[in-house]
Amino acid sequence: MTPRLALAGVTFTHPGADRAALRGVSLELTAGEIAMVAGAAGAGASTLLLVATGLAPRLVGGTLAGSRTIGARRCGIVFARPWTQLTGLCSTVEDEVAFGPASLGRPLAEVRAAASHAIRQLGIAHLAGRDPAHLSGGELQRVVVAAILALGPELLALDDPAAELDPAAADALYALVPSLAADGMTILIATPDVERAARVATRALVLEQGTVVADGRPADVLPVTEVGSLARAAGCPPPYPLDVPALLARIAPDAGGRAHDSSDAPPAGSGPDTGAIAR
Amino acid sequence: MIGYVAGRSPLHRAHPYTTLTLAGAVLFAAFAMTEPATVWLLVLAGAALAATGGVLRPSARTALAVSLPIWALLFVLYGLMGADPRVAVGPLSLSAPGIARALVLGGRVTAIVLGFLTALATTSPHRLVEAMTARGVPFGRTFLLASTLTVLPRMQERAARILEAQQCRGLRLGGSVPARLRALGPLALPLIFGALAEVDEQVLALDVRGAATGGRRTPLDPPPDTRPQQALRWGLLLLVAAAYAWKFWRMRA
Amino acid sequence: MSGWDLRIEDVRYAYAEVEALRGVSLAIRSGESVALVGKNGAGKTTLTRLLVALIRPAAGHVAVGDWDVALRRPDEMARRIGYVFQHADQQLFARSVREDVAFGTRRLGRHGPVDAVLEELSLASYADVHPYDVPAPLRKLVALAGVLAMEPGVFVLDEPTAGLDRSQRELVVAALRRRSALGVTVLAVSHDLGFVAETAERVLVMESGRLAADRPAREFLYDARALAALGLRPPATAEIGRVLKLPDAPIRSEEVAAAMRGVRWKQNPE
Repeated sequence: MTPRLALAGVTFTHPGADRAALRGVSLELTAGEIAMVAGAAGAGASTLLLVATGLAPRLVGGTLAGSRTIGARRCGIVFARPWTQLTGLCSTVEDEVAFGPASLGRPLAEVRAAASHAIRQLGIAHLAGRDPAHLSGGELQRVVVAAILALGPELLALDDPAAELDPAAADALYALVPSLAADGMTILIATPDVERAARVATRALVLEQGTVVADGRPADVLPVTEVGSLARAAGCPPPYPLDVPALLARIAPDAGGRAHDSSDAPPAGSGPDTGAIAR
Repeated sequence: MIGYVAGRSPLHRAHPYTTLTLAGAVLFAAFAMTEPATVWLLVLAGAALAATGGVLRPSARTALAVSLPIWALLFVLYGLMGADPRVAVGPLSLSAPGIARALVLGGRVTAIVLGFLTALATTSPHRLVEAMTARGVPFGRTFLLASTLTVLPRMQERAARILEAQQCRGLRLGGSVPARLRALGPLALPLIFGALAEVDEQVLALDVRGAATGGRRTPLDPPPDTRPQQALRWGLLLLVAAAYAWKFWRMRA
Repeated sequence: MSGWDLRIEDVRYAYAEVEALRGVSLAIRSGESVALVGKNGAGKTTLTRLLVALIRPAAGHVAVGDWDVALRRPDEMARRIGYVFQHADQQLFARSVREDVAFGTRRLGRHGPVDAVLEELSLASYADVHPYDVPAPLRKLVALAGVLAMEPGVFVLDEPTAGLDRSQRELVVAALRRRSALGVTVLAVSHDLGFVAETAERVLVMESGRLAADRPAREFLYDARALAALGLRPPATAEIGRVLKLPDAPIRSEEVAAAMRGVRWKQNPE
């Protein structure tokens, strides 16, 4: 099966920069994979997303060396700030979502069908007639994702998509990811919110100064999270747990006179009901 | 008030090309007119247009705010310091041709501003894009035009936020001229940088949505265009052409 | 450096026809560290804007120390309150990070510790870089640095940790804890309950323009039902404390880690 994305020894330098933002990056992504990219600010995660989706160097300039093959038929990318991703030209959510297919000159019936499907997939049918300018950040991000899904991308990059969202909206957005991957989409996520991304990712890449220093299962390669750091301070041996359920699962049942019923613990990835996707 | 104001007036419901042609006619005709009476007739026409659009009060307020300083300057330049013959108005001795000239120039400015504001307030960027798409105009041009309509309110909002932020860092507004000039940097620079960064992101976002494919877009909901409106637009264009022809004929005579 | 107390008495405020604040009263003592939580639209940001005279209440009274805010301008309030906007990175303009950080303190005629603050927030290596050449999350820290350098007696912050990674959040927490220890008053609007747990002693809950609750942080963060009503989940520390039934309801990481000493760990995850 052709990989959706194949990078071999890719080095990318932004225009006017003295050092390369990506150095010798090699990776392959297949259909249905959910990969997260972790790294300090400036490590190159956002740049990796721009290169993976073909936006760099085409639209942002710069120089690319190495080999890049984008097997995905179409790519999409979602950025942190919802408002800059709207066209600003549509008075309803439905038109905003239909913008993409309409741009490709598809017949009107096909455009409307693609928009309706994407709107249902994201569970925002109740927003279809609303003016995008009056929506909250969380609602807007869903509209943006729907607008990109309407074009049928095979590779979707998410660049800190929940940065501007409150916790409930952030959880809801990340909760969509597994079902999109189940439909065959390849998802690439870059975010400092390592815990949320790790709940849905099947693979984690760690970038340091533009180089991939680790690539494997999230629990194995990710830098220590807050919970992991707490566990370490409380004497837990490595590997350190990523989140609370993992921490509680590492505690031996007859520990220090303090028993706990594991049914007290929240199930992994749980949160308040934030709206399931309609199928 | 600068920017689109939602409404259901005849101007809002008209085809966007019609609204823009009406405003454009006021603008171009203003330059063709050379007599104070005809120019101020145009100002009245501009006000009538604004009233039809249900935006007379905000448009007139802004138009006055822009025009008053210009009227004052023209009054001094032409009215007080203009050529003879002079006419006494109270204690002042004013230049008769000078006053006429000031009225023409001042009236032109006011007519243009009124027309422009009315067009901006009653033309929905969305409907304009749809209208242009239905006519097969390439998206790049439609976006450019539509963006200029939406950029002012967005910039205004952003500027207000930056103003607040800098005040909270101790920047005092007002004061002496040098103080005001020094305040320009903290106010204008973030606006410019921020706008540029936003444009960068928006270019990427639009590209990802297929906006740059270059092919023909499918209009989703083109505003209806009627024969009477088309006739009105052609009529206005002819009127403006006739006004210029009249002007040049009179200049030669 | 020491703090000011904040007093808000029966304030009302409306945007157009929407009542954003309906008779809110609260008092924050000098040196207290308080978090303001609530759903979007509850009135949290409106309340903070009143404190710095960006808006005037339609009714009621706002005071910072002995200053009646109604008689002050925002640039005057900057002498007492350091306000960190949610998108503070949008206010950066100077030629270098150092110059931008120095802007506020110079405006106030103070000579705040610009270089020390840059060190504190790990921004020293960016001191001579143009703010817009700095990665976006770090620009947020630059904006915070500028306010820290002003050395105000009160910090009011709006979502100070949004978009930051763990190490950056720790820097913000450490900076605020240091100031709290010196007696500076801190009021933070935040959805990030992990941050609230690490910095706040008290939580004010806003709902539909009213103050719905005023509780000690320890109590509030362990109340899963109250949190769920606001669309929030308990922070990791409170969740661990609840499940393990740790004594004294610890909410800070170091308290939880200390309370967990003696816990036996499985060697490897299953």
